[in-house]
Amino acid sequence: MWREINRFGRKLVEYGLAHSHFGNISVRTGDGLLITRSGSMLDEIDENMVVHCRLYQEDCFDTIASSETIVHRRIYQQTSALAIIHVHSPYAVALSLLSEEEYLVPRDTESKYFLHRIPLVTGGVGSAELAANLAGALSQHKAAIVRGHGTFAAGKILEEAYVNTCSVEHACKVHYLCTNKTTGDGTL
Amino acid sequence: MFGWWGKGLEVDLGSGEIVVKRLPREIYEMYLGGRGLGVKLLWDHLQAGIDPLSPQNVMIFAAGPLTGTRAPAAGRHAVVTKSPLTGTIFDGNAGGYWGTALKKAGYDYILFKGRAPSPVFLLIRGDRVSLESAAFLWGKNTDQTIRLLKDKFPAEGKRRYGIACIGRAGENGVAFACIMNDRGNTCGRGGLGAVMGSKNLKAVVVGGEETVPLADDEAFEEYRRDILRLLVASPVSSKGLSSFGTSVLVNLINYMKLLPTDNFRRVYFEEAYEVSGEKIRDNYERKKRACFGCPIACKSRAGEMEIPEYETLALLGPACNNSSLESIMEMNHLCNDYGLDTITTGATLSCYAEILGRDLLQEEMLELIREVGEHEGAGAQLSRGSALLAAKMGQPGAAMQVKKLELPGYDPRGALGMALGYATSNRGGCHLRAYMIGPEIFGKPKLLNRLTFVGKSGLLPVFQNFFTTMDSLVVCKFVSFSAGEEELAAILSSVTGVHFSAQDLLRIGERIWNLERLFNLREGFSVSDDTLPERFFHNSDDGYAKGLNRDEFMRALREYYFYRGWTEEGVPTGEKLTQLGIN
Repeated sequence: MWREINRFGRKLVEYGLAHSHFGNISVRTGDGLLITRSGSMLDEIDENMVVHCRLYQEDCFDTIASSETIVHRRIYQQTSALAIIHVHSPYAVALSLLSEEEYLVPRDTESKYFLHRIPLVTGGVGSAELAANLAGALSQHKAAIVRGHGTFAAGKILEEAYVNTCSVEHACKVHYLCTNKTTGDGTL
Repeated sequence: MFGWWGKGLEVDLGSGEIVVKRLPREIYEMYLGGRGLGVKLLWDHLQAGIDPLSPQNVMIFAAGPLTGTRAPAAGRHAVVTKSPLTGTIFDGNAGGYWGTALKKAGYDYILFKGRAPSPVFLLIRGDRVSLESAAFLWGKNTDQTIRLLKDKFPAEGKRRYGIACIGRAGENGVAFACIMNDRGNTCGRGGLGAVMGSKNLKAVVVGGEETVPLADDEAFEEYRRDILRLLVASPVSSKGLSSFGTSVLVNLINYMKLLPTDNFRRVYFEEAYEVSGEKIRDNYERKKRACFGCPIACKSRAGEMEIPEYETLALLGPACNNSSLESIMEMNHLCNDYGLDTITTGATLSCYAEILGRDLLQEEMLELIREVGEHEGAGAQLSRGSALLAAKMGQPGAAMQVKKLELPGYDPRGALGMALGYATSNRGGCHLRAYMIGPEIFGKPKLLNRLTFVGKSGLLPVFQNFFTTMDSLVVCKFVSFSAGEEELAAILSSVTGVHFSAQDLLRIGERIWNLERLFNLREGFSVSDDTLPERFFHNSDDGYAKGLNRDEFMRALREYYFYRGWTEEGVPTGEKLTQLGIN
């Protein structure tokens, strides 16, 4: 399974959706989750860079797992997701800072069709508040944006979570470009 | 001055004279406090070749510039002396409240010399300082000593007393006796308690009401919040340590195949869960507790029993082939009561078991610990530590130690930066000099390949320098999983009003490290002491750990000396010492 995580991690970095050691990926494994380690780089994932944590209880492996493990765990507990991708994709982060709305409504046809609207949620990195907010949002949506932080996208398989991640960033990019064209000063 | 009071106490236990000493600001800026200040004072006051348990030995208790402030996890103090276990310079540091109490009393440090004609304790009530008879305490273990002193010196308004004391082990000169403060907080390693005992110094009781003045309150609060935010963001501090304490490491280290098992002959313990943080969580009602000013709160108790730290679990458990958590908790309690270092106790017991050729029974271990503390029976021969025990029993290879300090809970074959760190540590086989487990296991600040020496020789001195600075501020090592030298430099600057850059802090750590090295060289230590037990150059018996390659190890060691600016014999060059301002 780490090879699949490696494959999509490389794609995310290659397409500029993730960089440095930011972002994390997980897949559900029954009553557990396989998640990237804290401090790992998504384009350098190998078997030592993922860790298996329990779904319903913290254990020693939380110590070396991504600092967002609490968020992934809560999403799996409350939704039907089987794979989650979190990245700090730039247009999504930028738009979340420019907008004061609770949702971002995509302008392009594809994104409107696939995503409908994208929730903008709040909460500190790795906090229980963020975990609760995101689990609530992803129980009804394919992806959400954490204000000033980045996207969380879910799917039944990693490829679906990857597609949703790309869709959100694409929607945000188009939205930003259209808005910038309209107002000229970057405000929405 | 801000952050420092600029003064300490010098106590001649022989004559009973107590003098308030003022140190120049330059000393504080060069050595900070805690370990650094202690090392500087010991270097200045101690001649070479002194028996550590003689009246001529000197012992320094020192707080740091952050101690007594609200800086996160900074309520600590250090104790520095020449160790009766290793013969090296030695520092230990502890949390609890004692360090804060010293700062609140208006002092940065206490220096003890001589030997009291009869047992005494030092009592500090603000500016009233006296040596008091400890006749009613002598012969008692730490639990009772602390209880008696707490009853005698209850909190008075804002003044709360910190109590540091020794138990029977310290009184009896056990080479790995520790100093206990406020129950459950220890300056654990190297026999610091034995040095206290040799001076007839049973306890140091300190209380005060002063507030440490800050140079810039507003900036301090900002930098304090920065560090708190980082602590929350790091899973090591906010999840693992906060939820489980250090016992979280048992299963993790076992999974990584570096849990010392069967006296380091194996690295994987089949029954690790039985002594793990998870087992403790699942079976005990725990009450969390924290050292003064610490948001991590890694300690906990179950009723009256302290939950053992990881090192204690590892050395009294798997290292002794013991999977009984209950027995480890009982042994931990007994060690704490007698005032014994649990790491050396466990390692010496596992060494003894190997020499005997059989596992020790739990009851046997408990009885041996009691005998060590009392310095009687078979325990008497264990009371000098594993190196002397194994040498005396004709099997020196059974002692898992470096410079006579027993190795803690990480097999060096599974973390090669740690291996080099053990070998080059100024106080012997210690994990806390650089804690390379941070980058090699936790991935903090960045994950390194733990199974290679490549790159470690250059990185290790930086970690050692940084941790030396932390010991001098005095800040808990666990902060390093979240904050670095930049954050600590900023908060230190706001406390003292003196600008310290991150590079300044590393340079201060380097200065202290080099002075410690000079001390050890003066005592006769050499490059041949910067090594590891032969066992680690061979595969583990269970086949999980590959033996270290001796050539690679020696190459890494030579490179380490090079990066340190030392000669090939491991001696700091004159140029290096001049650069560091060491005359």
